[in-house]
Amino acid sequence: MKEVKSMFPRARIPYGTWGSSYFPAWQMSPLAEVNISQFAGEAMANILGKRKVSRKELEYLVIGSTIPWHWKFWNAPVVASCFGHRIPGYQTEQACATGLTSVVLAGSEVNSESYDVVGVLTFDRTSDSPVGVFPERRSYRRTEVIADVWDNFGFDPSTGGAMIATAGLTARKYKINRSEVDELTYLRYKQYFEAKNSGFFNRYLFPFDVLNVQGKLVGKISEDVGVRQITLQSLKEQRELDSCITSGTQTHAADGMATILVASPGKAKELSSKPEINIEFIAKVDIRTLPGLMPESPGMAVQKLLQRTGLTMDDMAVVKNHNPFAVNDAIFAKTMKYDWAKMNKTGCSLVWGHPQAPTLTRILIEALEEAVDLGGGYVLVFGCAAGDVGTAGIFRVS
Amino acid sequence: MRPSTLQTLGLGSVIEIFQNGKLPVSADELVDRVFGKAGNRGALVITGANGIVGAGKTMQLGSRLESFGIPIIALDFPGIPDGIAKQYPGLVRAFGKGNANKVMGNIIKYSYDGKTLPKALASHNPKFLLEAIPEILDIKKDHYKTFREMFPEIDIWSVTSGFPRSSLGVGIAHPAFPHEVNKIWEIVEPAPSASSKLLWALGLIPMPVSDNWSFVLDVFFCGLTLAGSRFSEASNMPYWKIDKYIRKYLGPNPFRAHDAIGAAGANFLSWSCLHHLSKHYGELFAPNQTFDEKKESGQNWYPLDHFRPLVDWSMNEKETAEFNAWILGSLFQMTSLMIHENRTHLSQMNLIGELCAQFRKGMLATIRSYGADATRKIVGDYHKLHPAAAEKAWHPEVFEKIDSPEWQQLYVNAEHDGKVGVISINREIYNYDVNTELDKAIDWLKAAGIKNVIVTGDFHLSTQMIGADTTDFFPAIENPAKGVELCNAWSATARRLYNDFKTSVGVINGKRCFGGFLELMMHCQYLVAEENAVLGMPEVTLPVIPGMEGCHWPFRKVKPENYPNLLLLLLTGKPVKAKESVGWLTDYAGPLEETIKLAWKIASDADHGLKKREVVADNLKNMPKEAPGLEDTDDTSLEEARKAIVGCIQNSCNAPLSEAVSIQSKLSGNFMTTTLFKKGAIGTAYAKTWLV
Repeated sequence: MKEVKSMFPRARIPYGTWGSSYFPAWQMSPLAEVNISQFAGEAMANILGKRKVSRKELEYLVIGSTIPWHWKFWNAPVVASCFGHRIPGYQTEQACATGLTSVVLAGSEVNSESYDVVGVLTFDRTSDSPVGVFPERRSYRRTEVIADVWDNFGFDPSTGGAMIATAGLTARKYKINRSEVDELTYLRYKQYFEAKNSGFFNRYLFPFDVLNVQGKLVGKISEDVGVRQITLQSLKEQRELDSCITSGTQTHAADGMATILVASPGKAKELSSKPEINIEFIAKVDIRTLPGLMPESPGMAVQKLLQRTGLTMDDMAVVKNHNPFAVNDAIFAKTMKYDWAKMNKTGCSLVWGHPQAPTLTRILIEALEEAVDLGGGYVLVFGCAAGDVGTAGIFRVS
Repeated sequence: MRPSTLQTLGLGSVIEIFQNGKLPVSADELVDRVFGKAGNRGALVITGANGIVGAGKTMQLGSRLESFGIPIIALDFPGIPDGIAKQYPGLVRAFGKGNANKVMGNIIKYSYDGKTLPKALASHNPKFLLEAIPEILDIKKDHYKTFREMFPEIDIWSVTSGFPRSSLGVGIAHPAFPHEVNKIWEIVEPAPSASSKLLWALGLIPMPVSDNWSFVLDVFFCGLTLAGSRFSEASNMPYWKIDKYIRKYLGPNPFRAHDAIGAAGANFLSWSCLHHLSKHYGELFAPNQTFDEKKESGQNWYPLDHFRPLVDWSMNEKETAEFNAWILGSLFQMTSLMIHENRTHLSQMNLIGELCAQFRKGMLATIRSYGADATRKIVGDYHKLHPAAAEKAWHPEVFEKIDSPEWQQLYVNAEHDGKVGVISINREIYNYDVNTELDKAIDWLKAAGIKNVIVTGDFHLSTQMIGADTTDFFPAIENPAKGVELCNAWSATARRLYNDFKTSVGVINGKRCFGGFLELMMHCQYLVAEENAVLGMPEVTLPVIPGMEGCHWPFRKVKPENYPNLLLLLLTGKPVKAKESVGWLTDYAGPLEETIKLAWKIASDADHGLKKREVVADNLKNMPKEAPGLEDTDDTSLEEARKAIVGCIQNSCNAPLSEAVSIQSKLSGNFMTTTLFKKGAIGTAYAKTWLV
């Protein structure tokens, strides 16, 4: 493994101090009915309990969330109270890049030696998202009403275009072939179900029983509800919504949470169930591409990251991305000259859904678990985010 | 078998009550001794009277002393919210408006500034001060000094939640929540005083304890809360869920209790108790970070209503073992300390947990069920998780005596004078432990050649016989064999009272005798009762089919014309006064002393004038299927329950005595698996407390 300087030499991710809920699809589980911040706080306590990490170990909490939730004004402190430990913290958001950003911010807090243990908790509920009413004196209606998830997906105020239009536009720019996208998507489903059937998910996905106000069971969150086995033929038969884009080759909105800890090197060894595993932060960058070309931005972010670190794609043991559109992977493979079959071997957001903030957290967790299985190495995690932004980060597992 | 708990109060033993034909002391003579004779009777002063403890005890003692003409002086700071007026509705519910008004009319309220007592106080001739002011040692001591300067002869008791007598310099009577109704008082004094005996004579339950930091109740309750909070810190499990598991396995829900009492005050008191205990006994009791925070903030342990829990928690086998180590390990070690210090009679220590802290089974009974070795192992497991606790206050050697009568007869004692035996039961709810101990007591008396026996309450810890412990029915809900087994076992013990002695006398000396306990007592060849005792078979209202032969045994002892009385008792669930049950349920009902005297006569083979009612061993023919006068009900559950009980009466009566027990056990045991049972009170409690 090439030696590269760590961006946060005093911060580590303790192996195993992470976990995620399953990501049930939009409107398909009890998570559609709960205050997701409360759920996330309680679920984090549960996950860390199963991981034998006392909540009292945490000194600070970085929460990541993109969709407004009830009592968001109180952000991390109120979520910490639901977690069961009154610690300070703050909320951050960077659309679909929130998961990676939150982890890096936590790394920064630890690296600066402000804290020894910082929790990262990312969550979102796309179901029944809130509707905001904004006085807009310059709009002809004087008051604008926005359903937070769908209206934002449908309209980028910087470009005037919809999210899905960026996928079609970029697919045309790179002359991506529809059949490649269908085959790629089919492989992604195959990778997901192989990982699932191997028991890989059981290492980091936690089932939860959700209660109503009377304390009775409302339902179980124990599946990525909405994910079904798919055939190549069925993908081919789907109607194209834009160039290379069908409902089968794009992700779906989901609800969920994911958490991970960041700690000083000494504390990481203390908290981890496998202290011999060392997980370091290497580098992270964001870039912003031209208007309406979001799917090309992740590759550009990775290129910049590789330039800055001196690493190459061949140095990467695990490559994993947030791919809301399957064309993202095809474009990445084309621009980076990388075989898309080597990516996302244990599932990806194209398949298991996209609850926004926790998406890249789950991708990072899956990537780290996969790297541990491989005996270590560099882990490349990247993705796109609203505003034609690409984000990428490299971690080292040794 | 072991010393009676009454002896710890200097009141002799239970058998002596029967031998002497009277109670050891009367309230009248003790009131004279403590407050002076009528005409020159002094007052009881309660300070901090508007607080939770002060107001509760003003009610409890006020309602008992009013008839003796003892004024209750309620003293507190000016401006303190009135805690006494709030008690009035409860007082009305308990005693009726007329009596409640009398009690309130006997309470005289004064304010004072904390330094100078009201001059008018002297006119009431204060004889006794019950201090219930805040837990600050210097303030308490100044308070006593102020009183003693003005009233040098006054007797002072503190209700302190933790200070020992040696620090306070006054007597201690530590009461248990809820203070209006809980009868238990832990008393610290060198020898039983007239005041302690007066509490007993007034129907309360004083229990002498040693002069150590904190009290038995507080060690158990605060210790349990601390153990729960430690488990929460280790596992992240929220307090509400830990409460559910503690309730399932032990009985109490300590975190809810703190919130219900008022977290601001209760958190401080528990913290204070633990803080002082840790100064003397080390890390076992040291408040953790959570407790420090709760003490400072006064915040509830349960989430606020808008954050009612969303994520449920469960435990696998390994996690359950860890839960046991944290919770039981702590409690077992704390118990070892209290036994080592000889804090009180083991039965009292055991029952304080049950009567004051909601333990389903006292901690000593729990330890006994685990056995000495398993107990030590659980504490060892706890020390692996919390090594600092092992450094002090661990006395494993106390469990070496676990086979002694003091440990083995926690609930049932037996005494004899060579001819007559007296079995006294100090648990108000019949359970497997009582059943086992009763069997052992019978064995012990038979081994001593005792042929005549009296079975009674213990005149101290048990003031009534409420019935069966329905939590013992829970295993039967999923497994009918368990229900049949329970009914068979308990019925077999009950039959021994009839079969194993030449003469057996059941004495109902308390306020009531219901359900399983009444079934037990009716197996005695003679049943006598204090005339105002209330007797009943409330099974139909739960519903459950009586399982200790209540559906046929009493019918076999009466003439057909008495069947309607028994049927109404069984099918309405409505109780009867003992004096109204003579001839068909009891053999005698009268004033307590007369009842005691008569029981002794019967058991001593002296002339007593009662005719023994024989139990018919053959099939009873022509049993009625309906009770004349039974009111119709539109409650379908009640109707179904009645049918089930009538069915059991029909089947068990229409069989020889030798077969009736198994018929009744089978019907009763099987009923516990029915939907009707599951929807009833016991099934609902099972679902609420067991299925967590």
